[in-house]
Amino acid sequence: MFRSVLRGAIGAGFMMAAMASASAQVLEIGMDNGPTGLDPHLITAFPSFMVVNGNIYEGLTAIDKDLRVVPGLAESWNVSSDGKTYTFKLRSGVKFHDGSDMTAEDVVSTIRRVQSKDIASPLASRLSAIEAAKAVDPLTVELTLKEPSAPLLSSLATIAIVPSEVETNKDILQKAPVGTGPFKFQEWQPNGFILLAKNDAYWQKGTPKLAGLKFNIVPESATRQVGLVNGQYALLPNIDAATALQLKGKPNVKLGETLDLAYMLIGMNVSKPPFDNPKVREAVNYAINRQEIVDAALFGAGVPGGPLSPALKSWALDVKEFSCYKPDPAKAQALLKEAGVAMPVAVTMNVLPRQDVKDIAQVVQEQLNKAGFKVELKNQEQGQFIQDWRNSNFDLFASINAGSPDPDEYFYRTFRTGGSTNVFKYSNPEIDQLLDKARTLQDQAARKTAYDQVQKILACTGPVAHLTYGTLFSAMRDKLQGYEVMPNRSLVTLKNASY
Amino acid sequence: MSRILLSRLVDLAIVLFGVSIIVFLMIRLIPGDAVAIMLGANTEITPERMAELNSRVGLDRPIVEQYLRWAGAALRGDFGTSLWTGRPVATEILIHLWPTLELTFLSLLIGAVLAVPLGCWMAQTRGRSADVAMRIGAIAGLTIPSFWLGIVLILLFSAFAPGFSSLGYVPFSEDPLGNLQRMILPSVALALPILANLSRLVRSAMLDALGQDYVRTARAKGLSERRVVYKHALRNALIPFLTSVGIMTGYLLGGAIVVEQVFAIPGLGRLILGAIAERNYPLIQATILVVTAGFVLVNFLVDFLYIVVDPRVRA
Repeated sequence: MFRSVLRGAIGAGFMMAAMASASAQVLEIGMDNGPTGLDPHLITAFPSFMVVNGNIYEGLTAIDKDLRVVPGLAESWNVSSDGKTYTFKLRSGVKFHDGSDMTAEDVVSTIRRVQSKDIASPLASRLSAIEAAKAVDPLTVELTLKEPSAPLLSSLATIAIVPSEVETNKDILQKAPVGTGPFKFQEWQPNGFILLAKNDAYWQKGTPKLAGLKFNIVPESATRQVGLVNGQYALLPNIDAATALQLKGKPNVKLGETLDLAYMLIGMNVSKPPFDNPKVREAVNYAINRQEIVDAALFGAGVPGGPLSPALKSWALDVKEFSCYKPDPAKAQALLKEAGVAMPVAVTMNVLPRQDVKDIAQVVQEQLNKAGFKVELKNQEQGQFIQDWRNSNFDLFASINAGSPDPDEYFYRTFRTGGSTNVFKYSNPEIDQLLDKARTLQDQAARKTAYDQVQKILACTGPVAHLTYGTLFSAMRDKLQGYEVMPNRSLVTLKNASY
Repeated sequence: MSRILLSRLVDLAIVLFGVSIIVFLMIRLIPGDAVAIMLGANTEITPERMAELNSRVGLDRPIVEQYLRWAGAALRGDFGTSLWTGRPVATEILIHLWPTLELTFLSLLIGAVLAVPLGCWMAQTRGRSADVAMRIGAIAGLTIPSFWLGIVLILLFSAFAPGFSSLGYVPFSEDPLGNLQRMILPSVALALPILANLSRLVRSAMLDALGQDYVRTARAKGLSERRVVYKHALRNALIPFLTSVGIMTGYLLGGAIVVEQVFAIPGLGRLILGAIAERNYPLIQATILVVTAGFVLVNFLVDFLYIVVDPRVRA
């Protein structure tokens, strides 16, 4: 009697387990940091971006895995011949997570929200070209520009469409986001987890396949790794090479990879000696051996790269085009002599507190010291680093920056005179003119020619020594299918994933 | 009794007032302000945007005004809202307080409860090999850092009990078994140094007590050794033990930061750590006040227990 009951119970247990695994599951994700807010127009941190972008919110356009602009909530668009009027046709049947229909009025109010001084969105400059937005009919939006804007379509992919009711509200979306994406917000326990549930009314039929996403906040790298190996987490997105190397070959674990859009860089302050002299900046580039950095600090997982990521296949120039990328310490010393600076050139390098950046800074320090510099490393706490960075209080800094699918998004604010992130105080009339022109050109070939020239000027004497573009890894359980690593770190492909 | 209670409450208010001023000033002395960190190193940094954000979070006002506004609101029970999430600070603290309380309770339960019989036994077997072995073990327990032990435990369990969920936190009310499964390893990691420390303390206090005249009298009366140790000697040996437990509770309540970090437990320690990194002023201020209040309250309780345990204190 007892045995048969036991047998029955075990059988029922197995059946229940089998049923559970057959039905859709909530995907357990391990992240190092939690989101710092969920309002898509206010967030700036990567963890927030990874949670909301493409999962909770969507834009008029979207970026595919080859970093091309593709239709998003707008199924098509027309551009007037003078390049100053964009007409977007919206998809019909798209609903917000609160059940209301997404209409042209929501798009118009979203644009007003991002541009509003009161909201103080850090994304405002991405829409600076837009003079007016108008709802022509419930599914048609017309944007009138002050001047033609080539990067507009790419920028629009980063502007999440939100319901018009929240236009003037600064707080509500930070806590309770409402978008149109494949997953809707369910619960957020700060420092614990954030849980998204499947959006059953999602406009793209058949997706998402997962019942939901649970982003577990696990600050310790070793803990995340153990969690993946023992199956508690199914995905560790966007991990560095060192972690990937440790997980490689573990049972039931596989790695996905792509070339990163983010890049390692050495920034130089051109507002004071010695980096006000272009020859010294050129000497830095000659002194650096980029392949050695890839081998020593990135475990071979990455490539040397110039001002644009090689992931941007239609824009980036091959590094062979940059003469100063061939390591030559003797040439660097000669340039320093020509520049008339006292050798060794004593400078301080502020270092962002991230292990990979610290490793790279050490390699660069040694390389620069061999070529006539005397570099002192200053390891800083994040808040201090950002403050010094913002106040241009540095000789050199080592950091990692997010790239962008359109060159304008990165170049203009970084290298144009007075650009909003031009902390280097760099000013070059030729670059200014090229950047001003390139953002208004409609012809792709002409834009490419302009950016080729920009890259050539920046590569050797610009205020940034671009070092490497790493390989971006995600580690996952081998049962996870359909998820692809995106170069811009977005987790948008989770809508096609199954587990 | 009520005079002791009253004077303790006055102490509590003074301590909290002092701490509130120190914390308020100190976190503003850390370089790097909240707005700069909010904007990060990848986004727009126009002076207008900085000014707008500063005024939005109230950081553009004079520091004395900022303090008075905050302290006034705090006295009415309003600790403000988190700069990043926009949630009330009190809610965030409550969410994070519970896992820390549970962790504190379990670690003390394991550490303190085991320490008493262990310490007594070590005292009774003084100088014998069992005592020596346990004293060596206690020194090891004191020197092994909890976070290291935590990582070792995670690795061991993932290798030998792959189905054991040891990471993160689920409330006891939602899933009792899952909760205990997740809390046991961090509690053990935290309890080991407590056990080592307290058992040594009990041992030496017991040795002290066992040499006293009243113990000799008790033995002369023909009481069993067990009764002598646990009934007569232990009571006096408990005073230093209670003081230590009080201090340890305060430390644990402050969030056993590294262990919470290792086991991904969303407790007070991680809340404070994150808040400092983000320069989330309202959150740092309120959390540190709560921890301070907890510390003072625990000490207050310990003083009370003295009175219960040792009648001489009442005099």
